[in-house]
Amino acid sequence: MTTHFLMLILILLFAFLVRSLDISSKWQAAAMINLSLGFMLLAAFIVSQILKGLKLPLISGYIFTGILAGPFVTGFLTFEMVERFSLIDDLALSFIALAAGGELHLFAIKKQMKTISLNIIFLTILVFLMIGLFVLFTGRYFTVISDLDPKALMVLAILLSVICIARSPASAIAVINECKAKGPFTDMVLAIAIAKDVLIIILFTFAMGISKMILSGQDSFQTGKLFVLILEIIISIGAGLIVGKGISLYFDRIRHDFSLFLLFIAFSVTRISFWGNEFMVTHYDVSLHLEPLLICMSAGFFVQNFSSSGSYFVESLDRMSLPIYVLFFSLAGASLNLQSLVICWPLALSVVAVRIAGLFGGSWLAGTISHDPPIFNKCAWMAYITQAGVSIGLAQLAGKQFPEIAVLNTVVLATITINQILGPILFKISLGLVGEAGKR
Amino acid sequence: MKIIFVFLIIILFAFSGYHLTFRDIRLPRFARRFYLTGTEYLFLGLLMGPLFFNLLDDITLNALDPLCALILGWIGLLFGFQFELPKLRRFPLEFFTSSIFESILTSIVVFFGVYHMAPYFYDMGGPVRIMVSLSLAAAAACTAQTGLSLLAPHVIKEHQDNILLLRYISSIDGLSAMTVLGIAYYFRMLYFPLASRLSEPLWGGIIVLMTCIGLLFLYILFLSQRHDEGELALIVIGMVIFTSGTASLLNFSPLLANFFMGFCLVNITREKERIFQMLISVEKPVYLLLLFFLGAGWIPVSIWIVIPAAAYCIFRAAGKLAGGYAVTHISPGMKQYPEHLGFGLLEQGGLAPAILLDFNKSFPFDVVPMAISVVLVAIIFNDFISAHFMSRLLKEEK
Repeated sequence: MTTHFLMLILILLFAFLVRSLDISSKWQAAAMINLSLGFMLLAAFIVSQILKGLKLPLISGYIFTGILAGPFVTGFLTFEMVERFSLIDDLALSFIALAAGGELHLFAIKKQMKTISLNIIFLTILVFLMIGLFVLFTGRYFTVISDLDPKALMVLAILLSVICIARSPASAIAVINECKAKGPFTDMVLAIAIAKDVLIIILFTFAMGISKMILSGQDSFQTGKLFVLILEIIISIGAGLIVGKGISLYFDRIRHDFSLFLLFIAFSVTRISFWGNEFMVTHYDVSLHLEPLLICMSAGFFVQNFSSSGSYFVESLDRMSLPIYVLFFSLAGASLNLQSLVICWPLALSVVAVRIAGLFGGSWLAGTISHDPPIFNKCAWMAYITQAGVSIGLAQLAGKQFPEIAVLNTVVLATITINQILGPILFKISLGLVGEAGKR
Repeated sequence: MKIIFVFLIIILFAFSGYHLTFRDIRLPRFARRFYLTGTEYLFLGLLMGPLFFNLLDDITLNALDPLCALILGWIGLLFGFQFELPKLRRFPLEFFTSSIFESILTSIVVFFGVYHMAPYFYDMGGPVRIMVSLSLAAAAACTAQTGLSLLAPHVIKEHQDNILLLRYISSIDGLSAMTVLGIAYYFRMLYFPLASRLSEPLWGGIIVLMTCIGLLFLYILFLSQRHDEGELALIVIGMVIFTSGTASLLNFSPLLANFFMGFCLVNITREKERIFQMLISVEKPVYLLLLFFLGAGWIPVSIWIVIPAAAYCIFRAAGKLAGGYAVTHISPGMKQYPEHLGFGLLEQGGLAPAILLDFNKSFPFDVVPMAISVVLVAIIFNDFISAHFMSRLLKEEK
């Protein structure tokens, strides 16, 4: 522990001394990015090791370092730098999605199909209803939303409650890997997190359509959009299966440099999806958004379950996962909006509490009906708290579409900040309580 | 969007090129030489660069500067790892002194040659002339091993003593190149001092040295505990990036700073073997990326560049030949080796492109594109002629 503190002090000293130098050339400006990247990697690693001594998950250390180094606390990483790191962010997310798909075992899902389905249904319904009703009935008591008119409040309630259903698969996979967890509880949580990631996009599209109806006074729902969305999901899954086949062929035929190859795949999928979306809009005026996350998850799922290289695939991903997790979560920490938390902490805390109640109720009900072990029913809620990128993206989208409820973004960011800090810790505890940590 | 595509292309090239170039490929001897040295990546970079397809335009190249620094740092660290003192002691001391003598002599010949020739081709001030001459002299001191690896197994067996010596020299002579590059950076500090009270070059030098020692201490602290493979990779990647960033911010070379780290680490840490394996596992892709970036920044100013390039080649060859001749006559332990040893040292790949990229990025003078062109043409030329001279040397031995 003393060595870790010494390293932390030393690296902080270095970083701040060197950073205080004047920049006089482009090369030095680029060097500043390098310095910041290196600093984030090393500092996040050290902090996570310190927190590990306190039994906290490693990703809490990465996130905590990001928050401290980010633009809202020390300003070591500026807004521009965080923005410039988006390339790494996308790459990391696709890579994590590949890993998440690779962790899904078809036989385990089949065995637990009933409990997984019930969990998804109850968690979705309860969280949606409880958050929605809470915002509708108590909205006037919170300063940040008290002046919204009833229609806007209704839309805010719908969209916020849909966003609250989401759960970050990326942090789930990171904690599972760190704890080397294996077992029915782990499989169930991962499958639910991934399924909810798909479901949330469909539900959000519904919610956006309904919100538009409420705010503009239209009386018909645009079903065309829903059709396009379902088409996008099907194409994404199909593309993922093709990529998965490509990966398994590579594994079977070439059999070396998997890590480098997977890095290339993760990056290409993300960028080609974005490029494809832009291309379709520009040239054919068709808005067809392929989901890189879904593509990567399907690819990982295919390799794990329909090829002979599943375990080798997961091992290859594991070998290079640490630097990617560290960068991804520390950058996620740096982009957490603490200002939002300061502005609306009472509402954010209440939403977090109500969401937890919904998660507990939903998972307890589902577990009881499907006769899961009692310890699962008691602990499952702890596994679903963390939220991240998808929720932020959806909130931003809604904020742009409906300026009347621009506050939604602030509320979501504040809520995510709390969930992102609390979630990994509770998930790690739950894996310990159900006895699946260290079983791999 | 362009930067994304370029990034994709770069990864693809690094990856596919690695497999095409270094694995299971049988091409005609002439083409094989071209492939094996990775020279095609220089041309691919040139094609992608501002002169042709402009996929790698100036803005994109600037945006990818951090990647360049990472590559330079990685190569520097790996080169430093070659200087493990107990391993070096297994060879006769004459090998070491001969390598250093030969490369220093080559640097001196090239330095004075370039210094006096430069005004005929480009009008530049005294300090700039010194820095350019020193950097080009540093690049000239390096020798590549690719020519040796092209030799047939029976040839290697037949001439094993000479080939061992040539391999040794080509691994070690980069040390002189690094020293000469360090001197160029000293002059750079005179020319571009750090801001505020650190403006004196002496202070600048002391600060760089203290910083390197501090970073080394940080490395040692990290490595004082046993880490698994993933953690070790994270530490090495993080430290390479951090060291490169720190060095560049201090107006110093990422290549040299990481070389210093590598040299110290290989001699003091227990984890040297594991780190070395990690560095070497991506050596080829990193090297090809280096050539690609160098090619992209290459501006072949005019066809007449071949004249200074030819002169540069002559200075370098003169230095190598004189160096080889001297060491085989001066040192008693070296008299058994052929006096035209320099013929086997003409190949110039290896560390030289890394020195050039470092020079390209850190020395913002108008003459730099021309200087780079001169050395690149010389590298390509040396790639082609070195095989002939190598076989001549080996025949002479018979």
